[in-house]
Amino acid sequence: MQSFEKIEYKPIPVRDLLREMKNLSELMIDLAYSAALFNDRDLAEDVLELERRIDTLAYQLEMVTMIAARDAEDAEALVSVSKVASATDKISDAAADIAAIVTQNIGVHPIVSEIFERVEERLTKAKVQENSILVGKKIGELELAPRMGVDIIAIYREKDWIINPKGTEKIHAGDVLIARGTSEGLKELKALCEGKLDKLED
Amino acid sequence: MPRTSQKKFEEIVKRFVELKDTSELMIDLAYSALLLNSRELAEEVQKLEEYVDKLHTEFELQVLTSGFKKEEAKGFLGLIRLGVVTEKIADAAAQIAEVVLRGLEPHPVLKLAIEEAEETITYVQVNENSPLANKFLKDVKIPEETGMWVLAIKRGEKCIRPKPDTKIQVGDTLIASGYAEGEEDLKKLAAP
Repeated sequence: MQSFEKIEYKPIPVRDLLREMKNLSELMIDLAYSAALFNDRDLAEDVLELERRIDTLAYQLEMVTMIAARDAEDAEALVSVSKVASATDKISDAAADIAAIVTQNIGVHPIVSEIFERVEERLTKAKVQENSILVGKKIGELELAPRMGVDIIAIYREKDWIINPKGTEKIHAGDVLIARGTSEGLKELKALCEGKLDKLED
Repeated sequence: MPRTSQKKFEEIVKRFVELKDTSELMIDLAYSALLLNSRELAEEVQKLEEYVDKLHTEFELQVLTSGFKKEEAKGFLGLIRLGVVTEKIADAAAQIAEVVLRGLEPHPVLKLAIEEAEETITYVQVNENSPLANKFLKDVKIPEETGMWVLAIKRGEKCIRPKPDTKIQVGDTLIASGYAEGEEDLKKLAAP
């Protein structure tokens, strides 16, 4: 059984908590479908970890909104916040259910993935090695979308998620990139991250 | 796998793709409804929720009546579970939209958290004189031309989540958001 840690109140702005919950829940859905359709256990584990993170955020947000409500008027204004937060929490639970299809070895019939491959883009993750030419480059200057049909949708850096990174974001050695795109393009990106490919093709 | 079975499979997966896309579209629309305090969009989300319920039932019936072999059953269980999840996601989106329909003024903090610069929402129907008709979304560059972003395409009972290779048809209603200035430009483009 999962162990549950005590969650303490922290004075984090509601805006930040909710923004993170919303962004993470959307990332989780993308990751989870990709995990299930391509039977990727590693991605599935990431989803389950994110689900625990959202649970913690949900507790914190609830505490913060409780403290913020001083009267009936506040309560009426804040109920929209807690409703939306609980919806993002539900979305993250749904994503975890998808991931569980993989971790519980149920799996989805390979034909499903085959058909999906034709209609949907897939996701991949790749760790940026020290010797990769991507290190120190800004995402925007790489022009990944026009060059190889790939989009970086998130970066996992030092136990933190940067979701929908901006073009000015620099890639660090040790970053884990989550990218979406064609399987060809993703293969190329992976090779670039691992330092196996040392130039960008035009 | 025999051909008939393959065909059945394709049908089932097609329906699942529609479930998945619709549920994700609902999330986008629900947040936009909240951001713009738009009853109209929120009602759209509620309607889609009913549509997903119907679609989901059809999907499950289709899986159940396919008569797949025992060794294939596990792969189908995964698919059934995926279907259940899309329905859960649709419910969560409906919950977000409900805030608007109950007449609760969305708290300003929600706007800050959603962080999208949407100002207005517009509905335009594409007529036969439109340069958009029968074109792929990726080729018509609506955001560049008008500053409006297509959130959804209504086609009959269906509501489609726009993808680069979605083809715009005459009679489609585009639901778009963006700055108010773009509204006229989009109208001119869709119905010249």
